[in-house]
Amino acid sequence: MAIDIATTKTTKPRGPLWFAWRRFVANKAAVVGGIVLLILCLAAIFAPLFTKGDPTAQDYLTQSLAFPSAEFLFGVDDLGRDFFTRIVFGARVSLSIGFAAATFSVLIGIPLGALAGYYGGKIDWLVMRVIELFSVVPSLLAAMLLGALTGGGYGTIIIVAALFGWVNVCLLVRAQVKSFREKEFVRAAQALGATPWYIIRRHLIPNSVSPIIVGFVLAIPLAMMLEASLSFLGIGVPPPTPSWGQMISSGINFVFFYWHMALFPTAALAITVLATTLFGDGLRDALDPTLKGR
Amino acid sequence: MIFYIIKRLLSVLVTFFIVSLIVFLMMHSVPGGPFDGNDMPVSEAVRAKLMASLGLDQPLWVQYVNYMRGVLTLDFGVPFQAPGETVLSLLADAWPPSLLLGGLGVLIGAPLGILLGMAAALKRNSWIDYVASTLSTLGLTIPVFVISMLLILVFAVWLNWLPANGWGKPERWVLPIIAYAAIPLATYARYTRSAMLDVLHRPFVTALRAKGLSERRIIFQHVLRNAAIPMVTVFLPMFIGTATGSIFVEAMFRVPGLGSYFVSSISNRDYPLEMALVLMVTIATCIAYLISDIAYAWLNPRIRLGDD
Repeated sequence: MAIDIATTKTTKPRGPLWFAWRRFVANKAAVVGGIVLLILCLAAIFAPLFTKGDPTAQDYLTQSLAFPSAEFLFGVDDLGRDFFTRIVFGARVSLSIGFAAATFSVLIGIPLGALAGYYGGKIDWLVMRVIELFSVVPSLLAAMLLGALTGGGYGTIIIVAALFGWVNVCLLVRAQVKSFREKEFVRAAQALGATPWYIIRRHLIPNSVSPIIVGFVLAIPLAMMLEASLSFLGIGVPPPTPSWGQMISSGINFVFFYWHMALFPTAALAITVLATTLFGDGLRDALDPTLKGR
Repeated sequence: MIFYIIKRLLSVLVTFFIVSLIVFLMMHSVPGGPFDGNDMPVSEAVRAKLMASLGLDQPLWVQYVNYMRGVLTLDFGVPFQAPGETVLSLLADAWPPSLLLGGLGVLIGAPLGILLGMAAALKRNSWIDYVASTLSTLGLTIPVFVISMLLILVFAVWLNWLPANGWGKPERWVLPIIAYAAIPLATYARYTRSAMLDVLHRPFVTALRAKGLSERRIIFQHVLRNAAIPMVTVFLPMFIGTATGSIFVEAMFRVPGLGSYFVSSISNRDYPLEMALVLMVTIATCIAYLISDIAYAWLNPRIRLGDD
């Protein structure tokens, strides 16, 4: 019996996911990034449970601009709102925009990448020209214009971020599909009379899961940065919704006397973007060692 | 080669027209016009006259054709926020501070990044490698206004070494230059490290070592030269990138440069200024990529342009 267990242990087949997991765990920065991201997500979801509740309530007007203390962990802002509550609820805005924009990026990027990679030729040419156009137009300027066009706001930022986020996903999927298109099992499926749509759906997209995950995770920090940048310039998420970019832009006016107004949103944004990027980079290196970042 | 350059220039022109058309249409479909503001209310008749004098009452396509005709003769029109000037003269006045700070930032950041990347590649997995990779990750992920804010907090507020903002005295330039330098430093540290590692593992380096060449000569005469090829190509696009970076750096440090116009032109519906800014950055980016590609082929004869 004991021998049996020992032999099964040594001969147990290891799947590619197991190796990916091992590579990921070996990357300390990525693990720390992942844990921080998880904590931030949990904090964003359960924000009402451990903060003062409403991030827009001006309950402490008499203590406006109070410094951090036991009662107000991050102090009070200029409009009498508990700053800790606002920072935590800011994570909700930032992370939800990041995840939503990444989802839409993937939804646009997968079909276009798969089509361009599978059919090649004219479709590929067209998709690549569109991508080229998106890569020469400075995304921030275009986002500013689109923001002004639609009046800014939460939904707009998600759409704008997805509009510029799909390019990466598309390129990753296209490369993967292109390399799998000539494989024997795809040839076999074609010989059996499978339609292109069936082959893309059943064979090529499942084989592109790694680049899709990588593209998804790496699109998150880009969207969060875009949101913060637009809100910083005053054309992003409108007040009083708490957004870190917005808080940084008002914090700069208080930096000399009320440093907490500047420090906490800056640190929150930096930590979140950094953790997400480290996690994404680690995931990329773990899932596909050949993609290893330059 | 000549054919390749002509082909690329044509594609730059096509991009220019597509981008100008899209931006033009987008700008004009933004709700509101330049004279809707509350700070200077004008009567209906006056507004109509103003709109007519600026040609804004004509059909869109006429406006577009007129505008593009002007652009071809480098006439970008008159900015609505400063009717006494032209767009070009307004930008010409704003541009020196941005160029000075952004240029110095790139010129300081890029060599430092190259040195850091070289050290990291030669002493792999040492502390300097970790410092280099941490700095490059920080510089490439954290938005530039966050870096600026951290610089202000540390060097101006806590240590009180440097002024936080303003213009004029050179000590006021230090923090913005560091902020501008962050991205070139991070980019070059990363590129140099990977390019050097790539070259260091090639067989010819082993051959040089076997020949008995000193390590210093191998690094500086052979490895660096080969590694420099991909590094040259990122320089110009990165330099153009400081233009959009200026929006944030100049807002944080209160520098009177180009940056503020990017935002004010959009919020004031200043179509000519906005159009000129977007088109200039786009064209500059296209040309920067073209020059980089040509430089790449020139430095590396193994690359043949125009084959694909």
